[in-house]
Amino acid sequence: MRASRLEPKERSTAELCSAGQPRAAVPTWFVATTSLLQAILREIFDESAYSRFLSRHEMVSCRGSYAAFLREQENVKARRPKCC
Amino acid sequence: MTRLIRILIWLGIAVLGALALGTIALHRGEQINAMWLVVAAFCAYALGYRFYSKFISAKVLALDAQRATPAERLEDGRDFVPTNKWVVFGHHFAAIAGPGPLVGPVLAAQFGYLPGTLYILAGAVFAGCVQDFVILLFSVRRDGKSLTEMAREEIGIVGGFVAYAAVICIIVILLGAGALIVVNALKSSPWGVFTIAMTMPIAVLMGLYLRRLRPGKVLEVSVLGFVLVMLAIWGGQWVSQTPAVAPWFTLTASTLAVVIIIYGFAASALPVWLLLAPRDYLSTFVKLGTIGLLALGIIVLRPTLHMPPLTRFIDGSGPIFAGKLFPFAFITIACGAISGFHSLISSGTTPKLIRCEPETRMVGYGAMMAESMVAIMATIAACVLQPGTYFAINSPAGVVGQAPEAAAATISGWGFPVTAAGMHALAQAVGEQTLFNRTGGAPAFAVGMAHIFSSSLGGQAVMAIWYHFAIMFEALFILTVLDAGTRVGRFMLQDALSHIWKPLGRTSWYPSILATSALIVAAWGSFLWQGVKDPLGGINSLWPLFGICNQLLATVALCVATTIIVKMGKARYSPVTLLPLTWLVAVTFTASWQKMFDPNPRIGFLAHARQLAASAPPGYETSRLIFNDRLDAAVTGALVCMVALILLESVLLWMSVLSGRMQARVKEAPFVPTRFAAEERG
Repeated sequence: MRASRLEPKERSTAELCSAGQPRAAVPTWFVATTSLLQAILREIFDESAYSRFLSRHEMVSCRGSYAAFLREQENVKARRPKCC
Repeated sequence: MTRLIRILIWLGIAVLGALALGTIALHRGEQINAMWLVVAAFCAYALGYRFYSKFISAKVLALDAQRATPAERLEDGRDFVPTNKWVVFGHHFAAIAGPGPLVGPVLAAQFGYLPGTLYILAGAVFAGCVQDFVILLFSVRRDGKSLTEMAREEIGIVGGFVAYAAVICIIVILLGAGALIVVNALKSSPWGVFTIAMTMPIAVLMGLYLRRLRPGKVLEVSVLGFVLVMLAIWGGQWVSQTPAVAPWFTLTASTLAVVIIIYGFAASALPVWLLLAPRDYLSTFVKLGTIGLLALGIIVLRPTLHMPPLTRFIDGSGPIFAGKLFPFAFITIACGAISGFHSLISSGTTPKLIRCEPETRMVGYGAMMAESMVAIMATIAACVLQPGTYFAINSPAGVVGQAPEAAAATISGWGFPVTAAGMHALAQAVGEQTLFNRTGGAPAFAVGMAHIFSSSLGGQAVMAIWYHFAIMFEALFILTVLDAGTRVGRFMLQDALSHIWKPLGRTSWYPSILATSALIVAAWGSFLWQGVKDPLGGINSLWPLFGICNQLLATVALCVATTIIVKMGKARYSPVTLLPLTWLVAVTFTASWQKMFDPNPRIGFLAHARQLAASAPPGYETSRLIFNDRLDAAVTGALVCMVALILLESVLLWMSVLSGRMQARVKEAPFVPTRFAAEERG
């Protein structure tokens, strides 16, 4: 399980592009940049961490699993200083 | 041929950088365009990254692409996760970018734009970026250990203890100084107070939305929160213009201080998911957006700098903070050039995400370059203002006088013309009652930012919106640091107290939570209260104190780095960290000495206490001010002594290793070959 890999949805888009599928007018570099930007934002905003949590525990996203994720994160997040 | 082209390109960058720096440094009596600062910064960073960081990577650290990182070896999908380098870069930058590089350079602009700009560039390339890079790499090679753990293992018990104590001190003083900046930005400002007050229910709403309606959709809720905050800014204008409502949100500095202290205590005890986490997301969202917008605004609009390169205040008589260029400009800029706090992030979450060693260069060195660029933008935002306006906003009433006419006359007398009527018109334009004596840096930054944007995006008509957007951004930023810092301080205190009595260390035991939260809040609250009551504005004493703490923490980090380099058998390359260390020791120790013992009461804490004792009317207020001065002097002295101890311990260790009396052994995790290299080849 690596965050270096793009999320399944993003990867499928990128793979479609690289596989030479019809791409309309969207250039590959644009798709790649957008995917990367999305991956950065997902990591910063803990969405990737939540995805990893779901796959690690083989859960689907719901209130209960998000509450469990928050419980796991609570200690880590509360101990993380915000920089000056 | 390709090599020749590369050489020519880098020569071109070097020449362009030299030209830009020459323009910045040599123009006298003429205004220059802000783009010269941007060009000089880009060239300096490009050259620093391409050549200096590459030298450090190859010769000093010998980055090894074949060596597995802890993210690979200890991968658990939670803390240790091999991550794309750009993703780690973004994550690391979002973590290190705080209010410091925005506030410090604005305050240091009292010396002119030249000293700040040169120090931000040189300091970042040769010190700040190097510190972040080497600490990140050393933490990666030690399974993601923290700075305090590395200090204890590589230097000794004193090193570990000093690092721990410095972290607690810096957190407490940072929170006090940060809260004071918020107070000064929001006092007598119903618009600002309403907007910031609204961010709390918005954050709670975001927390509930995430937990109940759309679990895990953080980006989505952050966009929603941002829209609500923009509505709150718009609503703030209505509040400020409605006589029946405005008084509810027009608070004095003392009232605001009490509110923030109560808020800090409550936020520390509330569940993380309810307020801290959503507010953190919202703050990060606004932060990244605003920094991007400001960069775009400066590049597209290319404003002119009105501040001279050097002002008369390099002699130490500055109204914003007293003290000569050396060491106070460097203490004040702090985070824009080098920040000790970054070493905590570089040895915290980030090393556990690094996929392969060579990527530490881009993440550690590169992210600090971006942070330094933010400091350059803050310098520009301050220096696009007319100097008279800049000093009118930032000078405390105790220096320039309380009445607008008196303040304008004093500032004009320094050679920076400003009128009370002009300041009143500016205050009206940004939707404030007054802009005089708004110390702390945030209002000046907000006016500068509004000035840049209003010259094209919406014109003067929306200047008030831009101003309050900038104020909201900074206050939100600082309040997030306040929430998180109080909680982190509480955990650290609980860890320490658990050695005395075990139950005090239990993070779920409410008596301990309440007691330790109260202790941390009381500690930074007392600094805040001291700043609010200080006739010199508080920033004069608190910001240098914060700068000293921050730079002392950087001194500890560079001690750890130099020790490891010496133990690695690479003493000939130790100047890479030893020279910035020497510089920081000179700056911090000189500043500390002057803050404690300088005979000028505007600089020395003890001289100020003596002056109060001799001339102020005796009473509770005077004795409290005297106590505060002595406390500041004691805190500074204690920190300097602790850092001197770790320095002494480090030097003795280096001498033992270099003379052969001690066998050097670094405490790295054993080498394990990476599987990524083979995967990529295959």
